[in-house]
Amino acid sequence: MGLLALGTPLEWPEAKKVASKVRSWGIEQLLAIWGNAKGKERAALLWGDEIEYLVVCYDDQNRKVRLSLRQADILAALANDEKLLQHGGGVPEVQRGSVKVGETAPVFHPEFGRFMLEATPGKPWGIGFKDLLDVEPNMKWRRTIAKDHMEATEYPITLTTFPRLGSPDCIAPTYPASGPKLRSQYVPDEIANPHIRFPTLAANIRWRRGRKVEINVPVFRDEKTQWPFKDPTVNYDLHQWPEDDDVRNGAAKDNHIYMDAMAFGMGSCCLQITFQAKNIQEGRTMYDQLSPLGPILLALTAATPIYKGFLADTDVRWNQISRAVDDRTPEELGEKPLQNDRWRLPKSRYASNSTYISQDPRLRREYLDPGLVVDEDIKQRLVEGGMDDLLATHFAHLFIRDPIVVFAEDLETLDLSKADHFENLQSTNWQHMRFKPPPPGTDMGWRVEFRPMEIQITDFENAAFSIFIVLITRAILSFNLNFYLPIQRVSENMETAHKRDALSAEKFWFRKHPFGSHSHSTGTSTPAEGSRPPTPVGPVEDEYELMTINEVINGQQSADGKDCFPGLIPLVESYLDSMNVDVETRCDLARYLDLIRKRADGTYWTAAKWIRHFVQTHPKYEKDSVVGDEITYDLIKATEQITREEGRDGLGKEMLGKRR
Amino acid sequence: MKLILSTSNIMSGGPSVIRRHTFEKSNTELTSSLRANFTAHRSSPPTPTTNGDAAATRPKPPFRSWTTQQENTLYIPTHTPSPLSEPRESYDITVKLFYLPNVPADTRCVQTREAIDLVLKELGTSSIDLLIVSFPGISFDADDDEESDLDDPPSAPDSLADDGDADGAPEDIDTIVTTWHTLERLHEEGLVSKLGISEFGCTRLEKFLPRTTVKPSVDQINVRDCCVVPKPLILYAKQQNIELLTHNDCTNVLPRGTLRDILGSEEKGMGVLAREKDEGERLRGEVQPQWVVKYTAVVKDRGVVESKGYFAVAELRE
Repeated sequence: MGLLALGTPLEWPEAKKVASKVRSWGIEQLLAIWGNAKGKERAALLWGDEIEYLVVCYDDQNRKVRLSLRQADILAALANDEKLLQHGGGVPEVQRGSVKVGETAPVFHPEFGRFMLEATPGKPWGIGFKDLLDVEPNMKWRRTIAKDHMEATEYPITLTTFPRLGSPDCIAPTYPASGPKLRSQYVPDEIANPHIRFPTLAANIRWRRGRKVEINVPVFRDEKTQWPFKDPTVNYDLHQWPEDDDVRNGAAKDNHIYMDAMAFGMGSCCLQITFQAKNIQEGRTMYDQLSPLGPILLALTAATPIYKGFLADTDVRWNQISRAVDDRTPEELGEKPLQNDRWRLPKSRYASNSTYISQDPRLRREYLDPGLVVDEDIKQRLVEGGMDDLLATHFAHLFIRDPIVVFAEDLETLDLSKADHFENLQSTNWQHMRFKPPPPGTDMGWRVEFRPMEIQITDFENAAFSIFIVLITRAILSFNLNFYLPIQRVSENMETAHKRDALSAEKFWFRKHPFGSHSHSTGTSTPAEGSRPPTPVGPVEDEYELMTINEVINGQQSADGKDCFPGLIPLVESYLDSMNVDVETRCDLARYLDLIRKRADGTYWTAAKWIRHFVQTHPKYEKDSVVGDEITYDLIKATEQITREEGRDGLGKEMLGKRR
Repeated sequence: MKLILSTSNIMSGGPSVIRRHTFEKSNTELTSSLRANFTAHRSSPPTPTTNGDAAATRPKPPFRSWTTQQENTLYIPTHTPSPLSEPRESYDITVKLFYLPNVPADTRCVQTREAIDLVLKELGTSSIDLLIVSFPGISFDADDDEESDLDDPPSAPDSLADDGDADGAPEDIDTIVTTWHTLERLHEEGLVSKLGISEFGCTRLEKFLPRTTVKPSVDQINVRDCCVVPKPLILYAKQQNIELLTHNDCTNVLPRGTLRDILGSEEKGMGVLAREKDEGERLRGEVQPQWVVKYTAVVKDRGVVESKGYFAVAELRE
């Protein structure tokens, strides 16, 4: 969640007055970083994964499960334990089980939701194949440690969202809804991490927006679903806050599940991977090349079919988070003529990428968004400061937003050795890729974060997807692959990925030929004499077509075997063929690649499909889209069992296949 | 005449490096990247006035225009080295040398040096980390942990089925050991840090190891599904400190018929070798592949394959 500095947060009207100042100080900090770090070379690939958990609390007697709000207590227990770990590791809890001596203990972090935990490996991973095989045991170790610091009735599950978040009696301990910060009819202010940054973020987004955030998810229409569906949980008679008028003004849409607070989005768990690049150029390449893969991986990891106790007609979390932090005003949204605001904004600050940033001759002008909103003054300042046009455009695009949380103390002097003002904007632009400059004063390099994937139920799956992405980046760099696609097609794909069962029912825009002309991408060699003619450049529209996820992952089949997309898995296999991999490692990697191959071809189900099936075949389900308390209890129990058994006992085998 | 065929760096070469069938061993990477490299060198720069049709009907340029002859050696195509871009210590350089059937084993000493020389020149370096050798007729069969005496089934679709290109019996152990002593000398000279063999099962390893001074560090095996490697081999390799690595090359990586197809004057050939009735400067005679070498340079800490390619050497006899 970025920086957790302490201080006195400004309320929105005050924050708004200093927004320009924060932006311009942020840009000066960025220029300082850029000046220092643009030539930075890092020899090694380092990468890290982030796993986010929901902490659930069982009430077995009443067959009920709630979200536990004990994040602070659990983190305190972990922190104390970590101190002990550092003092020689003589901690009984941590020495239980299969803890390896000498391995760096994982690190736990707070998240927005007070029912969430985030865990990362204690030190970054390398590219050594042994490192790759350590990922899954490390993820399991993290979960074990987390569980060891919880109460017996609690468990860390990795579902993207809690199915009944926002329903009555879904959190423990209980607090009343309609607090002053969120003003939600469904969730109390206490749902958010109490650190002042989080409630301020939620309150100022609402304040800037001029009303509560508005999340309408299409409801899944089952046999007995009342139609048109009018969300029966909406209370039209609340009169505590001005925002209670929202629903009377039509905020809740027919045939949609309505939600009204940041917690419904930012309370989602995802699987994020961050890479450290060799240098800024490689980072920019990875940012661009991974971007078109985002929607594909979103659909492939789909795991979010339920909201607020109803089956949804979508499979992924992305747009719900987008709407949950959408701070755009009616003018920016295009609902009112522009008078006070600077521009219309087509996207929320949580959205798919809108820029490409690599200085790559393969990046054609046609791939860029002609309607990209850019703060021209900021761009000019960046260019004056020596930044190239493409990267300046990227940051000047991110900086069209206002800073949401501003601490009074930080506005006294501009400290160019820090990145706080820059990060204020950077880390509240939640796009599906993030390009991260090195934090000042560290030896870190330029990094790229891959953010679209949904968290998976088991650590086996989470490891599989993490490792797949790592191997894809290696294949991209080794084969100099080209996945460029007009950025607007990528945004379209993100929308497509939301559809129910998009994995097998939908097609996605994807580039047909990932290889360039036969020429050297690296090295200092000059092209051979009589070097090849440059590939003729045809219309951009001829470069891509609609493909199924199966075709993107496993390759297209054509009669003559030529002229078709080879598939991401065959590309990774070919990369592995060029490496010295020992048989046991290759066997382990094959298990991961096999999962992805079979998810893509439909042999194995996504979590979204499995959860839907679980609900729809539950004896208490009445074919009316309602996911009640008992179904939820059984679902969460099943999820925990799958987390432990990973399909070996047959539960969840539709997702995981036959595991050894 | 000696023919030196090369692929250049195949990493950015496109589809030729991508295998379609996951567990199928093949030589298509070699054959298609040779074809791709020849084609790329053969095509003359486009003339602005020609349209697509004209290019298609243009006659193949004579092979002399895209190859280079130095004394009695013909480089196909004309070869320019592409040295590595980073300091030597950044890389792991692996070389795999395929000794081919029907080639006298007593030429291997010279062949090995020649192969290493070509790779070192190509990469602009002075040593390699791992040299793996593949002996003719030896292929590992995971199903019964017996070395199979059968050679690979006809693998490349473009190889001629039967042209007397039999691969012969598997290499006998004495010849293997004699060849190995050559490799041990390269190791002593510091040219090669580690040695490896390919496709050895337990039985052959047990016969081979006692007769070596420098033990192989690596045994590269090709298994359709690498999760079915026999336990005894895994245990024996661990005990002997031999790392079992995977690969998917076939043993007879360049059959004579395949090479003739590539260089010949038929429709898909490159027009280096003449047909019987042909006149003109195209070469005549029988080609006999001698050896093939594959090299891979990986940037260690980043796991990026910077350079990968093949050289193949054949004799052309009138």
